[in-house]
Amino acid sequence: MPDKPSDLVQGTLDMLILKTLALEPMHGYGISVRIEQMTKGVFRLNAGSLFLGIQRLQRDGLIEGEWKPTENNRRARYYALTEKGRKRLNNETREWGRQVAAISRILEAS
Amino acid sequence: MSLLLNVKRGLRSLLRKEQVDRELDEELGAYLEMAVDDEMKRGLSRRDALRAVRLEHGSLDVTKEVVRSAGWESFVEAYWQDLRFAVRILRKSPSFTAVAVLTLALGIAANTAIFTFVDSALLKPLPYPRSSRIVFIGERPPRSSELVGVHPFNFLNWVDRSRSFEALALVQSIPVNTTGPEGAEQLSSLWATSGLSRVFGISPMLGRWFTENETVGVGNPPAAAAHVVVLSHAFWQQRFASDVNIIGRTTQLSGQSERVIGVMPAGFRVGTFEPDLYLPMPIFREKPDAIGSRSFVCYGRLRADVDLATARSEMNVIVDRLGREYALDKDWSVSLLSLRDHLTMESRPLLLLLQGVVAFILLIVCSNLAGLLLTRNIGRQSELAVRVSLGASRQRLIQLLAIEALLLSGAGGGVGLLIGGWASKMLYHLTQGISWGQIKEVGLDARVLTFTVALSLLTALLCGLAPAWQVSRFDIQKTLCRRGVTDLQVHQRLRRALVIAQVSLAVVLLICAGLLLRTFSSLLNVRLGFQPERVLTMQMLVLGDAPGRANEVEAILDRVQALPEVRAAGTIQFLPLGPTSATGFYFEGKPKPAAGDQITEASLVSRGYFAALGISVIDGRVFDQRDRIGSPRVCLINQSFARKYFPDQNPIGRRIVVVWSNEAPTEIVGIVGDIRQGGLSVEPHPTVFLAQAQVPAYITHLVVRTLGDPSRLVKAIKRGIQEVDKAQAVTKIKTMDEYLSASLQRPRLDSAIVTSFAGLALALAAIGIYGLLSYAVGQRAREIGIRMALGADREAVLALFVGQGLISALIGTGIGVVASLALTRYLSSLLYGVRPTDPATFAGVAVLLTLVSLAACYIPARRAVSVDPMVALRYE
Repeated sequence: MPDKPSDLVQGTLDMLILKTLALEPMHGYGISVRIEQMTKGVFRLNAGSLFLGIQRLQRDGLIEGEWKPTENNRRARYYALTEKGRKRLNNETREWGRQVAAISRILEAS
Repeated sequence: MSLLLNVKRGLRSLLRKEQVDRELDEELGAYLEMAVDDEMKRGLSRRDALRAVRLEHGSLDVTKEVVRSAGWESFVEAYWQDLRFAVRILRKSPSFTAVAVLTLALGIAANTAIFTFVDSALLKPLPYPRSSRIVFIGERPPRSSELVGVHPFNFLNWVDRSRSFEALALVQSIPVNTTGPEGAEQLSSLWATSGLSRVFGISPMLGRWFTENETVGVGNPPAAAAHVVVLSHAFWQQRFASDVNIIGRTTQLSGQSERVIGVMPAGFRVGTFEPDLYLPMPIFREKPDAIGSRSFVCYGRLRADVDLATARSEMNVIVDRLGREYALDKDWSVSLLSLRDHLTMESRPLLLLLQGVVAFILLIVCSNLAGLLLTRNIGRQSELAVRVSLGASRQRLIQLLAIEALLLSGAGGGVGLLIGGWASKMLYHLTQGISWGQIKEVGLDARVLTFTVALSLLTALLCGLAPAWQVSRFDIQKTLCRRGVTDLQVHQRLRRALVIAQVSLAVVLLICAGLLLRTFSSLLNVRLGFQPERVLTMQMLVLGDAPGRANEVEAILDRVQALPEVRAAGTIQFLPLGPTSATGFYFEGKPKPAAGDQITEASLVSRGYFAALGISVIDGRVFDQRDRIGSPRVCLINQSFARKYFPDQNPIGRRIVVVWSNEAPTEIVGIVGDIRQGGLSVEPHPTVFLAQAQVPAYITHLVVRTLGDPSRLVKAIKRGIQEVDKAQAVTKIKTMDEYLSASLQRPRLDSAIVTSFAGLALALAAIGIYGLLSYAVGQRAREIGIRMALGADREAVLALFVGQGLISALIGTGIGVVASLALTRYLSSLLYGVRPTDPATFAGVAVLLTLVSLAACYIPARRAVSVDPMVALRYE
């Protein structure tokens, strides 16, 4: 495990957010915690980049937000995938798998 | 779809900014709280937890800013902020804003007004289908540069031999006498050949146009070939109440009965002329010169595959050949102009001059405003520096300044558009007497609007450029450390450059104005050769056979002369200050020279004419009752004729043959003084006067010199004419003074407009110099104080500042004079009696400018020396 959390590959953040939300609707903080857990701390999200990503996805109509109370009785904005977001996630996942496989082949070939 | 969503969200965050802000705040707040909760679960105190979270995520405000500025709407918002800020700044200094907007408005208004004319006259297509293919054709006499009409004989030859034209047409406007609802009345009519409809691409709205057969003449001139008539739309409406069953009806409009075969569409004009009637022109194939001389107007339509240059070269070849075949055409040439060039021949130089002048005005206005903005930005430099140090990019600052300039120019453009629209209407009504080509009405339209908007943007760019450059250069640290004391040298250099530009532009305009004013005064002082005061004129069309025409005019003269208050009465075919007609002549007994070798102007005048117009008789006699048909043929010549053709001999008693007058030998019986026949600025040419009583004209003008107010006699004269011939109509009842002031209208207008613009330019330049020096004095108050405290006397300080301003003015004047030397020759077609490089005008303007600059420098310099040294020293 590297000392510092890795920088996210450009464009992968959106995919990670989508993936996180595919399981269940989640608020901003929840998303960042979930990503950190799932990557075992490799990726730690800064609030700025997280909310930029959320705004971007919202603008593209991939996710939708809704104000709801949290388990600790706070109000937070919960985000959920739209139908369009689900499709995008599937596409991206497939594409990602192809790319990773291709890159691995190059790296292992040497 | 997602673009739409993006726009929707962006608009939402723009329009409901507070709500969106609040939500973002809340969301980030919740995020923070949850993060803190988690940290606290790990056993940290709330304070430490907060610190840890802040350390990791940075300031929430910054985060908010980052998120907010990611959308496109943040750009809009930045502009919106700058715009509001700019409005606030401009409102804070209302006098500056008012002056800036007003000068801009004047500059833009002037440009808009002139552009409406330029656009209508020179740019918009003429109202004919494919109008660019219509050409005007004129004949050019040997060794002459002026164009005259076309001879019917040549016209027929061109029709037969040329291949460049889809159609050719020959026209001549002639008045006709008719009996209208209110007695005898003169109508305008256009004799036209069958090609006219095809040349202009316009067919009658009702009925049809003339066929070729209908314009082949038979019988004696000017009997029309076929007795048919086509009506203009306006005449049809007014005389026949728009009767659609008019076609085929027989009328008595042209003095004989004719059948109406067509009505032209509304607004159709042949060039600028809309006659009441169109009559078929009788062209006699066998005897084409039966209807006269080179007094016809020729138009043609080029074939689609032929351009003007090709048509020109073809016509040159044809005319060359004709010149070898016929004496009539020896050494004559031909000239083809596009219809537009022909129609705007008179107004084009003026319009181009005015457009140039107003462009200069706008440049001066811009540089003036740029100077003002520069100075204001100096005052704001600390503010700007603070903005930069707080993180505003220079780009953002320049954007702010650009928005300010745009606001000013936008406001100026808006006001200017209103003033300009009004001004163009005023100008049009003031200049009714000037041929502006085909303009019927001027006003604002989409094209003018586009022009004005583009001009406003250009203005913003020109005004904003220097201040933006200044901002992009300044040094924040210096500015902040010196607490607002600025990089004066750069600023002063810029402003001086602007002032020099203003002065040199103003000098060019002043020199133009000076030249035009001198032209006007030369024209006012032209020796006319006749006395225009208390002279009444009216036009008559006299019909009938030659003796009948001669007798009618004689009888009318008898009646009019007998009226009380009439001092003298006579007739002339075409009045002075109008077009002239030239013809060849030769001396009896000498071999007939090749045509064109001896050219003279010729005029048909009656007895009493020279007395009526007050033209001096130099030698011999003028026409009198002895001269009539059958008596020995006599003529008069003017001084120029005598000087040119009889340098050392007495012309009286010599006999000449004027080609124009059926070539009968005519004895010269008198010499009369030269007059300005062809216009105020046209030098007198050699002229022969033939006797109306011996060679009677169809068109003639009665000229009556009265004792008192000429207008009082109009009724009595008309009654006298009707007593001679009840059907005889008169038109164009005008005094000679009216003709004179009409021919002065154009030069008066030229000089008046250009002079007022030049005055404006001078005022702006003076303000520029004044502003430059006032600012310098203000900035250098401390230095002045030190100088005076150390014993410098007032005169030295005064001289320092006046000298500084004067040097800029002199450099500007120098540049302006050099530019004028290069530019004023484009003015020469508008000048009379003064050369484009007239030294007196140039020197006068230089002196005027120096004096005005001296005054503009003196006022701020006086303020400099009245500074109390102690006050100045304590200034900082």
